[in-house]
Amino acid sequence: MSIVEVSGLAKSFGQTQVFQDISFRLKSGELVTLLGPSGCGKSTLLRCLAGLITVDAGRIAVDDRDITGTPAYSRGIGMVFQSYALFPNMTVAKNIAFGLAMQKLPADEIAARSAKVIGLVELSGYESQYPHQLSGGQRQRVALARALVVEPKILLLDEPLSALDARIRKSLRDQIRDIQQRLGLTTIFVTHDQEEALILSDRIFVMDGGRIVQEGTAESVYAEPASQFVARFMGHYNLLDGTQSKALLGIETTGYIAIRPESILLSDHPTETEEGIPGVVRRRQLLGNIIRYSVESTGVSLSVDRLNGSADDLLPEGAAVRLRIDKSILREVH
Amino acid sequence: MKSGLLLIPVLAVLSIFCLAPLLEVAVDSLQTEDGIGLGNYLEILTSPFYRQAFANSLSVSLWSSCLGLVIALFGAASLRRLPGRLRDAVVAATNMASNLTGVPLAFAFIILAGTNGALTLLLRQSGLFGNFDLYSRAGLILIYSYFQVPLALLLLYPAFDALDDDWQAAAALLGARVWHYWLKIGLPVLAPAILGTFILLFANAMGAYASAYALTTGNVNLVTVRIASLVAGNIVLDPDLAAALAVLLVALMVLVTTLSQRLLKKSYHAR
Repeated sequence: MSIVEVSGLAKSFGQTQVFQDISFRLKSGELVTLLGPSGCGKSTLLRCLAGLITVDAGRIAVDDRDITGTPAYSRGIGMVFQSYALFPNMTVAKNIAFGLAMQKLPADEIAARSAKVIGLVELSGYESQYPHQLSGGQRQRVALARALVVEPKILLLDEPLSALDARIRKSLRDQIRDIQQRLGLTTIFVTHDQEEALILSDRIFVMDGGRIVQEGTAESVYAEPASQFVARFMGHYNLLDGTQSKALLGIETTGYIAIRPESILLSDHPTETEEGIPGVVRRRQLLGNIIRYSVESTGVSLSVDRLNGSADDLLPEGAAVRLRIDKSILREVH
Repeated sequence: MKSGLLLIPVLAVLSIFCLAPLLEVAVDSLQTEDGIGLGNYLEILTSPFYRQAFANSLSVSLWSSCLGLVIALFGAASLRRLPGRLRDAVVAATNMASNLTGVPLAFAFIILAGTNGALTLLLRQSGLFGNFDLYSRAGLILIYSYFQVPLALLLLYPAFDALDDDWQAAAALLGARVWHYWLKIGLPVLAPAILGTFILLFANAMGAYASAYALTTGNVNLVTVRIASLVAGNIVLDPDLAAALAVLLVALMVLVTTLSQRLLKKSYHAR
């Protein structure tokens, strides 16, 4: 059953169209990511859903109730901001209890619900601290607790991990997913980080230029990019134009042939008789568990990913190699 | 240590032009016809006339400071939302207005809102002006507010940059109306700036002399008017009594500043 239904949403600021013709449905308990580069309209779309910005056209419905014109304070939507947006004059406990106090709930209920959610985000012991006394990760957990404690129908997360360092980002990302699944909370997550989107999402909506250009599960969006933009944005795809594709693969196309870097096999001790396309390693980049080689073949430069195994497997720059590309996984995009 | 050395010029100027005269005034305030003593202070504290001067000064200063502060708070909040060019124009005009004080200001108000001022006649004809008297305490509050509002606006406006727009958005999503946000978050965050501005406005009003004298020619009994008449008046001259009045004026300011510091220590900013 759809809990959120958005249709024909459009917004512009003056002459600038931020997004248009946005339509989608969210199922209850689903985590959907709005993924796109900076300026694609994803954060503005999120703020429109929250009621912080009015839309020019379209309809937003939650549980079959039209909330398009409903003010933010009565939409029942929770939101976590990139900047945390914690109230600096309040302690952790008061920040978290703020929404409950606004509902004028009895003090004992506020205390009980706050304590529960503080436990959920593992912040017990920090209740009397002020935001400036906390680390970035702790602040974002307070922001998450503050949004969760009012039991919103939908949770919106606006790049909540962007301001954090890599280690904290990874741990908080897992914690967010765990809490979201435990509570069965319908969630919209905004990010420009494709890795974050792939790990967290039940579904991904890729946005470009104010439109949703592709939607689907993480697996399908990654493996089957619908356009050149999605292919470039999702996974360092090699994109060959018609001339390059003809030269390298013998395939003619009016668009581009997309090849995933990890789907190209490298043979590092080629023999004269071995099948494959000859090439030369031009550059080598260490990406942790992956080594990314830049291999030149017939005037075309290709990125090829290999698992970072033993040091003996490393190919030096200038090494002659053979490339094997399974044509069944190639995708033609426009 | 080096940064301490950089303070020397400031301390020298403060000592020569502020502390030394203050010390001189304090010493003079203890001089009486019978020698050294607290006679001047006793005279002030037991005189209904001088007590009235302090009451009037406090009243005009408090009202004009509060009025200036409230109007400026709304102004600064609005100024932050204005487009760049308009905002710069308003700030420039405000800067100019805050510096128009003294006799020119009093004269401007007299021709505008005096007994036969242009605005007075216009509003009187339409039956809106009532019995407002520019040459009274209410008139003084009005004229003081004229320079208090722009001064407060200039002082408060930068402080509003400390407010994060996301706080209001977060508060709204948690069920807070706009007034909830300002009451629970906006104003407490701005508290140091508001208190600091209030003290400056209060000091500004307590020390104002030229505008008040030009407007009322001394008919409204204020401390500064009394000090001037005791130092350069043409009936009674008593500079030592004037010095005691000045010391009490300074003591009042110290008291207000101390109170505000105590209040600030209770706020989250001090933690």
